[in-house]
Amino acid sequence: MVDKKKLIVVIVGIAIVSALGASFSSYVGQVDQMTQDIQDESDVSPVSLPPLLGSQTAPVTIIEMGDYQCEMCKRWYDESRPKIIENFIDTGKANMFFIDYPILGVDSALAAEATYCADDQGKYWDYHVTLYDYQGHMNSGWANAERLKSFAFNLDLNMDEFEECLDSSKYDQRVKLNWQKASAGGANSTPTFIIVNTETGNEEKIVGAQPYAVFEKVINSML
Amino acid sequence: MLIPLLIISEHLFLEPYIIFSIYPESFVNFSLILILSIFAGIVISMNIFRIRQIKKTNKIGISLFGTIIGASAGACSCGPVGFSIITTFGTAGGIATAFLDMYEIPLRIISIGILIVVFFTSLKSLKNECKIKS
Repeated sequence: MVDKKKLIVVIVGIAIVSALGASFSSYVGQVDQMTQDIQDESDVSPVSLPPLLGSQTAPVTIIEMGDYQCEMCKRWYDESRPKIIENFIDTGKANMFFIDYPILGVDSALAAEATYCADDQGKYWDYHVTLYDYQGHMNSGWANAERLKSFAFNLDLNMDEFEECLDSSKYDQRVKLNWQKASAGGANSTPTFIIVNTETGNEEKIVGAQPYAVFEKVINSML
Repeated sequence: MLIPLLIISEHLFLEPYIIFSIYPESFVNFSLILILSIFAGIVISMNIFRIRQIKKTNKIGISLFGTIIGASAGACSCGPVGFSIITTFGTAGGIATAFLDMYEIPLRIISIGILIVVFFTSLKSLKNECKIKS
């Protein structure tokens, strides 16, 4: 006679392993979908560089890889970003661009697409700021299609154009390509930063919502 | 336990420089991590002592359970730990980390509560069971 306790443990163990296997295969499916859909880089709009914040001639470039639903990205946005803009970007010592790395769910990718729809009307950075200002809990619906459209409305964007852009997934490929680039660049969390001296090619990677002092030290060492 | 939790919660960074940071909004979180680490350290030590002295293991499981809940809470989905969980377990991992992130403070309070209860019961047990019988 099989011990009842052992039998229950075995059944629960099988159920857990099955659930894990199903989840893993769904993730693998998602990754395959992400990479398969990117057929060719040339399929993406030729203007695939994200909009730059700051002077094009600045000697140092800050590349931020982030997710609009990421709490730590929001922390960096609130605490370190304003001082970096004031002391380095506004003074022409550095410029910055943002690469979407939507790892936290479907709404992350949709929010990223919405920023490019706003960019079509010249308001990429305004929209970027709005997303972080109104960030809610992860996958709570704060960045669903309706909310994203309401953000656009608040920024006085042409709603017909914006809605058509978002609903048609116009920038779906671009966001997936950015995801692939960030992943290939070694990012395994958000936010991840790469600080590059564009003249010498020296670069430094910073992982996490590190305080302003770290960025100040790294950027100054590159100037 | 304190140092790993501080690293996971992005209060302590090791690269490119060793730096500790705390912001006003994250002060509560930091305080809970500190309290949790202190109690976890005391409770687990007490239970290891109990196991060695009186060969009873009935409280170590609960103390480990409380510690694990407290340690898991706030494993930010966007950090390396959360990212690993999401990439390994897919949708289930994403839901789990989102839950842990959303209810970080209540989960840490619950785990501290568990550890406090275990602390007092372990203390009582050690007082009673370690008496020299005359």
